[in-house]
Amino acid sequence: MKNLRILVVDDDHFLLSITKKAIEKAGHQVETAGNGADALDLISKYPFDGVVTDLKMPGDMDGIDLLEAVKAADRDTEVILMTSHATVASAVTAMKKGAADYLQKPVNFEELNLRLEKIRQMKSLIKDADDLREAMDITENKAGQTIRELEMMVADLQSRLSAMEKRLAEKK
Amino acid sequence: MIKITQDEFKVFAEYVRQISGLCLDQRKAYLIETRLKNLMREQDCDSYMALYRKARADTGKSLENKIIEAIVTHETLFFRDAWPFDLLHEKLLPDIVAMREAESPLPIRIWSAGCATGQEIYSIAMMLRETLSDLRKYAITLLGTDISATAIAQAESGTYHRFETDRGLSSIRLRRFFVPMGNNWQIRDDLRAMTTFKTHHLMQPLRGSGVFDIVFCRNVAIYFDAEGQKRLFDNLATVMARGGRLITGSTESVVNVCSRFKPERHQRAFFYQLR
Repeated sequence: MKNLRILVVDDDHFLLSITKKAIEKAGHQVETAGNGADALDLISKYPFDGVVTDLKMPGDMDGIDLLEAVKAADRDTEVILMTSHATVASAVTAMKKGAADYLQKPVNFEELNLRLEKIRQMKSLIKDADDLREAMDITENKAGQTIRELEMMVADLQSRLSAMEKRLAEKK
Repeated sequence: MIKITQDEFKVFAEYVRQISGLCLDQRKAYLIETRLKNLMREQDCDSYMALYRKARADTGKSLENKIIEAIVTHETLFFRDAWPFDLLHEKLLPDIVAMREAESPLPIRIWSAGCATGQEIYSIAMMLRETLSDLRKYAITLLGTDISATAIAQAESGTYHRFETDRGLSSIRLRRFFVPMGNNWQIRDDLRAMTTFKTHHLMQPLRGSGVFDIVFCRNVAIYFDAEGQKRLFDNLATVMARGGRLITGSTESVVNVCSRFKPERHQRAFFYQLR
């Protein structure tokens, strides 16, 4: 996996554009949305590997609501929350609801990109494991078919052999 | 990481075979090194012989258990291979129900031997829920056993990380049978109540759990040598009801090592019947 498709969500347009630039610098593809509803609209159209969203947003949907909606739509999309008033309790709530990370504003972009790199590595490991399992399944299926044929044949030969042995014993 | 020498490997492999029946492949010596790394550090051992001697001297067997825990492979997933569950649904359960029609409640006894973290027995529980209209008419026994106490503890809790539920569970089954807990999902209490788990070593006969109509023992025999496999299948046969059915992994052979089972085919599926 080379780079990630990331959606950045923030109602502050300046922050949105500098966050987008910073993430693009790390080689990822970035889309942006100014609120939760627009974000969900984009997510329903394209799959994203990750969503980086502000916790506090105006409108009906805050970062936690968006997190829940994103996870309900696709559990494989990782969500990073950004907040100006990080507390341990709110971070714990976010992580419990399935957030991948929780960053304090102003966001250190180097740190954000390191978190994204971890997500990229994890996704690439998951893909490797999936590929290996797929290869193993195919091998196992093919071998399994052959072994079952042999099992039936051996059982048949064994029963014919014991029938013959019985007849021989009777003749004696 | 401390390298294992060929001589150490031989001693260690023989010891593991004696305590667990598991056969270690010389070509996979590196697996021992990675899997025992933490235990070596915890036990402050600078060689595998030191660990071996320490384990031998430990009469409480706690180190022996830790070694087995570290070495055993826990690979499992929900509804693994799909066909055994179709077989259960289309053939094995209807056969039991037809045979015991007159009995009330009607007993159905299934054992998942070598159940690791419990995905197989819970898959069976989900399937029973989906297949049988009124569970109160049945006396259902679902037993999961494994050599690993940590695996059994997870199975008992019925809690799985989403990486585990992602493997084999449809989102319909996930939402129907599990409760979300952040990145984890827990199997619903009513399904958990259908199951029992206990630690058990398959080289020993299973005692005190009654007899079973169906035994799932899949991808367990592959870790044993021929002698261990024979003991395994004999031990299973001992606690199976007359005409009981055994389902093994698709690459495992039974007829060459144990004459108590007869292979049977049902469409794509394959099982063994106790003679």
